[in-house]
Amino acid sequence: MRWPLTTWLFVPLLLGGFAAAQVWLSHVRYELSQQTQRLNAEKQALALEVSKLNLEVASLTRPERLREIAQRRLHMAPPRPLQVVHP
Amino acid sequence: MSINHSFTGRGDTRQQVFIRRRIEAVAGLLALGIALLAIRAVDLQWLQSQTLTDKAEKQRYRQYTAVAPRGTITDSHGRILAESIEVPSIAAMADEISPDSIGELAAALQMPETSLRRKLHGRKGFVWLARQVTPAMADAVARLNIDGVRQETEWRRYHPLGPETGHLLGFVGIDGHGLEGLERTLDARLSGEPGIRQVRRDARGHSLPGGIWLRDPVPGQDIRLTIDASIQSIAYAALADGIRKQHAKGGSVVIMRPDGAVLAMASWPGYNPNNFREYRPSQWRNRAITDVFEPGSTLKPFTVAAALMSGRWQPDSKIFCENGAMQVADHVIHDDHSEGWLDIAGLLAKSSNIGAAKLALDIGVDPMYRMLHDIGFGQRSHIGLSGESPGIVLPMERWGPVETANIAFGQGIAVTPLQLATAFSVLANGGLHVQPRLIETPDIGEKQSSRRIMPKSVARHIVNMLEYATSAEGTGSKAVPAGYRVAGKTGTAQKPDRYGSYNSDKFTAVFAGIAPADNPQLVIAVVIDEPQKSIYGGQVAAPVFRNIAANVLPYLGIAATSEREQPWHTMRIADNADPVPGHSTTGLSLREVRRLASRMGLHLKVHGSGWVRRQQPASLNGLEAGDMLEVWLDD
Repeated sequence: MRWPLTTWLFVPLLLGGFAAAQVWLSHVRYELSQQTQRLNAEKQALALEVSKLNLEVASLTRPERLREIAQRRLHMAPPRPLQVVHP
Repeated sequence: MSINHSFTGRGDTRQQVFIRRRIEAVAGLLALGIALLAIRAVDLQWLQSQTLTDKAEKQRYRQYTAVAPRGTITDSHGRILAESIEVPSIAAMADEISPDSIGELAAALQMPETSLRRKLHGRKGFVWLARQVTPAMADAVARLNIDGVRQETEWRRYHPLGPETGHLLGFVGIDGHGLEGLERTLDARLSGEPGIRQVRRDARGHSLPGGIWLRDPVPGQDIRLTIDASIQSIAYAALADGIRKQHAKGGSVVIMRPDGAVLAMASWPGYNPNNFREYRPSQWRNRAITDVFEPGSTLKPFTVAAALMSGRWQPDSKIFCENGAMQVADHVIHDDHSEGWLDIAGLLAKSSNIGAAKLALDIGVDPMYRMLHDIGFGQRSHIGLSGESPGIVLPMERWGPVETANIAFGQGIAVTPLQLATAFSVLANGGLHVQPRLIETPDIGEKQSSRRIMPKSVARHIVNMLEYATSAEGTGSKAVPAGYRVAGKTGTAQKPDRYGSYNSDKFTAVFAGIAPADNPQLVIAVVIDEPQKSIYGGQVAAPVFRNIAANVLPYLGIAATSEREQPWHTMRIADNADPVPGHSTTGLSLREVRRLASRMGLHLKVHGSGWVRRQQPASLNGLEAGDMLEVWLDD
């Protein structure tokens, strides 16, 4: 059986299509890679920010500081003996 | 014609030769060229192959280090005790900095210009100028935009509780490795390992997909401690307050749960681990595990426990305390207050050295030594801190009568505050020894093991006696917070000097105890080094114990009870007063009433001898373990 000429013409077109798709896929991969890198950097920056904020919370809520604020600034006092019977 | 032909033929031949020569020359040149190309190809593809491949790879690939931040240390509630964050550091290429810009750079770095010039003088290449600086300082330097100055980032460790956890956690050096405390002993787990990732780059230097890990990063492990930040803070503040009041040299506190979990470990004087270089190395040591002291009378409960376990002594046994002085070999033992006959509870309440010495001499060296060894004296607890002292316990073969008598009341032996707290946790645990632990993270902490040191009944008897020792008649009355029952023992020990004898004016005041006595939740050991106002454990260390217990017990949800102070309770006893025999000790002998009191866990106060004539309270109904029964006897 002999293929018509028009059928043979599809071969280079098909190859061209595949090549174009390959280029497009490479471009998509490249773009995605850039995006992933940006997101990773952002994630790392956020993790660092969380660490800093956690540290700040720990520093602001340290018992010695709370005691100082309660006693000096708010004029609070520790409970007297037997004042706390149902903690 | 022939001549012409001949002439023409010679010319053709010469022409052909010339052409052939030219062809041969060109062919030779071509062959040479091909040969040179082949040689070059061999050179490039074979001889220089590796070098050129490496160069090409370097252009196409890039490696970068993925940092593994140090793990976080948290308390038992997840509150952060140590955290690492990235901070800027300032560096320079020394030979690229213009001498004219050193002045303004020094001003931005807040350092003298001379020291900056010294750092850069005669140097080439990379030089650290200021490490781990504040972001504000880094911004100030960046604004100057000086050629050769660069900003790097480094990890810095922060301890938000500062001095309160300084001795326990230790600190981390500039290279990110722990140098003291838990930061040092847990360094391998906390550090992690940085990873290396390789990526392909395009012509513009952008990373392409498909990177590979040459070495996977291992993140530092987070570690959860048994420490409670609030209790640690309470302990540190109470210790500091007690030391200030007594103008003492130092001290330490250990707070444990009976199951071995250390809730707080504080030492004074403190230091701030966030700027540890400003303190002397001697101030870095964790006194709760490194410093040993003679436990003094706080050892007596264990002498009594050994005596009760020997079977030769009962809780109701009486012992004659020689009216304050007793000779042992060539040595005379004294009591602070002369005592005559005392029962065992009285021995602990009055803290008689002679009574304790007599018990130890009676039961012998072996049971005493075994008891001290079993409760953990003379050996490291392996709690996970470096520099831990094993304490000092003489080998058994060196125990003569004088040594045995002295050790019975806590002289000639040295322990750490942690060892003392662990020993008292045996009493709180009903006779079980549990290894103390600081780390709660399950995969790190060793499996908790316990072993029985003494029968539960003996431990219970000792706790009852120690509760009596904190009553108004004992030496430890100042250790009891209102509304709670405490079982504990005071200790006052002379400090040995460098020549092996005792200092007459340097003492260690100690209190170790259990709270609440009826349902032990806390074991607290307080050691005050060289107090100046008073030397006695009951005056110096016991109030610190009370301060801590009064704050920590409500925090743990353990309610104070005001039962004894409410009128309706008195009414209940009065209502239940019943003269029917069986509810009264009237007519019983002293021995019988001692047995009864011991069985019910009552504190017995005896007047006279013979048979019971009357008792207070009138009925035994309503009395509970730890209550006082007073009896009057006549012959």
